[in-house]
Amino acid sequence: MLGLFKQSKSKELLIEAPIKGRLMDISEVPDVVFSQKMVGDGMAIEPSEGRVTAPIEGIVLQVLDSKHAIALKSNEGVELLIHIGIDTVDLKGEGFEVFINVGDKVKVGDLLILFDLEKVKDKAKSTITPIVITNMEELADLEKSAHPQNQWIMRAVTER
Amino acid sequence: MHQRHIVIKNETGIHARPASLIVKEAQRFKADIVLIKNENEYNCKSIMSILSTSSKKGEEMLLKATGEDAEAAIEAIGNLLESNLDA
Repeated sequence: MLGLFKQSKSKELLIEAPIKGRLMDISEVPDVVFSQKMVGDGMAIEPSEGRVTAPIEGIVLQVLDSKHAIALKSNEGVELLIHIGIDTVDLKGEGFEVFINVGDKVKVGDLLILFDLEKVKDKAKSTITPIVITNMEELADLEKSAHPQNQWIMRAVTER
Repeated sequence: MHQRHIVIKNETGIHARPASLIVKEAQRFKADIVLIKNENEYNCKSIMSILSTSSKKGEEMLLKATGEDAEAAIEAIGNLLESNLDA
């Protein structure tokens, strides 16, 4: 019995804000794919600057060809998608500069992407940037915080 | 086991919106459903896996399903993959 309990250790991952700006719940994103949590649960940020940094320590899983979205995997196995703006796929990468490659290891605060905030404001439906966990089935609990004083915006608990 | 060759027709390829629609549809079925591209298998019930296919318009992939409702799964997801996913 004791061995069984030992195996079910839970781990905690604190996710920081990858962009400066106004925090909101995922349900407030003006796109049903995100607001109805079809991609996953999470938070969103209305950016005040066009600089995206790593919100967790882990590896780069995927950078979309149009450079407007990046997927990371934490050391605990949590998969995170940062999707810059809404309908930004139509910009076809214009105004986005990527500073990492798929497979790179990243630390919290590492620069991932720079983007032209004015251009996204001008050409996309919204600059609101969802930050979602795409493998929610791996999580035992998810706590969110929109409090600007907090260092983290999400606290994910994994059970193994 | 059932399979079908599909060609991506969506103008912007597979990104967040198409991927989430595919996963939502795939999760309705019990069958194991995968897309195969360059000999790599991608699980149709995982958003991240589908995004990782990095599929563009005009690309061909093999859709494969194994399980009791595999035939229906191939029909539904094959049609979805070949539709205008951004509409």
